[in-house]
Amino acid sequence: MNARTTTLFVALLALTVEPALAQAPSGQATATTNTQLRRLPDGHPDMQGLWLKSNGGFQGLFVGSLDGTNFAAPRGGGDGRGARGGRGAGGGPRGGGLGGFPPPQYEYTPEAALEKQDRQRRPYDDPEAHCHLPGVPRGLEQPAGLYPVQIIQDEKYFALLHEYVHDARIIPTDGSPHPQNYWAWNGDSRGHWEGDTLVVDVSNFNGRTWLDMDGNFVDENEHVVERFTLVDPDTILYEATITDPTVFVKPVQERFTLRRVPAEQQILEYSCLEGERSLQHFTEEDGGKKRRAK
Amino acid sequence: MTGWGSWRTTLLWATAAAVVAAPTPGAAQRGSGAASYSPPRLWDRSTPDFRGLWQVRDTAYVNIEGHPADGGVAAARSIIVDPPDGKIPYKPEALARKQENFRNRATADPSLKCYQAGVPRATYLPYPLQILQSPGNLAIVYQKNHAFRVFHPETRPHFVSTDFWMGDTRYRWNGDTLVADVVALTDQLWFDEVGNHHSTDVHIVERYRMTGPDTLQYEARIEDPNVYTRSWTLRTTLHRITTPGARIIEDECLEDADGVRHHVSPSDPKSLLKTDYSRWKK
Repeated sequence: MNARTTTLFVALLALTVEPALAQAPSGQATATTNTQLRRLPDGHPDMQGLWLKSNGGFQGLFVGSLDGTNFAAPRGGGDGRGARGGRGAGGGPRGGGLGGFPPPQYEYTPEAALEKQDRQRRPYDDPEAHCHLPGVPRGLEQPAGLYPVQIIQDEKYFALLHEYVHDARIIPTDGSPHPQNYWAWNGDSRGHWEGDTLVVDVSNFNGRTWLDMDGNFVDENEHVVERFTLVDPDTILYEATITDPTVFVKPVQERFTLRRVPAEQQILEYSCLEGERSLQHFTEEDGGKKRRAK
Repeated sequence: MTGWGSWRTTLLWATAAAVVAAPTPGAAQRGSGAASYSPPRLWDRSTPDFRGLWQVRDTAYVNIEGHPADGGVAAARSIIVDPPDGKIPYKPEALARKQENFRNRATADPSLKCYQAGVPRATYLPYPLQILQSPGNLAIVYQKNHAFRVFHPETRPHFVSTDFWMGDTRYRWNGDTLVADVVALTDQLWFDEVGNHHSTDVHIVERYRMTGPDTLQYEARIEDPNVYTRSWTLRTTLHRITTPGARIIEDECLEDADGVRHHVSPSDPKSLLKTDYSRWKK
């Protein structure tokens, strides 16, 4: 009787917590200190382990693009994304995340809206198709359940080692400032803790980044604030606010969860230049080489 | 009384020190028999702390068997410590392949195509690497081509059903030496710029050991019965980069108009691309 009550209570609790979290305004999940989390000696939550994006945000070109406009059919070979990698050891879409996160909404300036339309007509110019680093937050904003990220953490660094395109972000959490004269695909990340949430300020982008395969983009004025919150031992809530005054009329919000990958799975190697065969999937012809040559 | 008290205190301190410095089991069997340096520990007070930025100072990346001065790079000895002649003990047909690689090195070197450098080559490239560590976790991020390796505990078997550019690594601690077992490397990798090579059956045992606060000795024993008549060992030293604020920077490959790929520096203003919206105002 006692055990059944407990189970019922836990089930109810789970039901209550999940939608509440999904609807919570940014940062609200961090208001209280979670006592059941593992912590490092410095007192900060221990987010180490292997994680997979479980839900929300980008769901793949075949479901719909980020801003809700659907492609009638995938262009080219039909499996452009899947052909570029795939999860060897386990993986696959994992349900069960917190779900219910709306896709990000983009509100462009008039000129940037035209720029986006232009980019939609040339998806083969997406830097990801050429094996460049995806930028922030696109590195984490991969199709759910496909590429895991390994987190290693100490008192000075929070490192994200992404399987996808062997993208490594080593984020200092020592209060150091952004550098001068540095322009990178992933920009420059500096983290600090606000309670149990790791807040990462990302700037110094090189202005070349696309946000997805549908022409959504940012320019050199991109600035991102990311928030990593361990909401339970197996779930990280990820939130990103993208501002870019020359592209967006209001900040873009992204929210989704990362779920812990079972311990028997491991990160594998993703090679891109070392055998990239996917560009042809982006157009009917040759990945746009002919059009670019004109 | 005072004398007795201070003797007791000393004894206590000595005991405490012994407890703190107590080596983990097996520490006595150090590799290479060099003088022992006790490295700092992680916060679990037992795992040796190799964290930091490291880089070699030698030029073995040109040719691990040694090379004459050329192209602004000073002459260097072989870093192969076994066999004693410093030469890779190739089988005849494997030596022929190496010589063919050498003739084609201007285009055939996989690193020219921005491929990940593999093991052990990534270690002695003239670029920094960063060791990330916490109790139970270890990874190395190499600046060149943003390659990384996650070291998995040896308690789990190798993942061998495919070949990787950076291999599959399992590790254990032998005293204060990190011993890593690496397999599943692709045969498209070279050891250096002159075409020294291995097959997919190559098996590498790496040993990382701190010999001082800012020096990390790196050793790799390489065996591959398809290619060599016996196993052989190379050794080099990684030096800690102590410059304040030093960090791994993004190392990217860009393709120029001719389809040639180049590593670009994020410190090069040409890396910054400004979107021109004025064309939409016509």
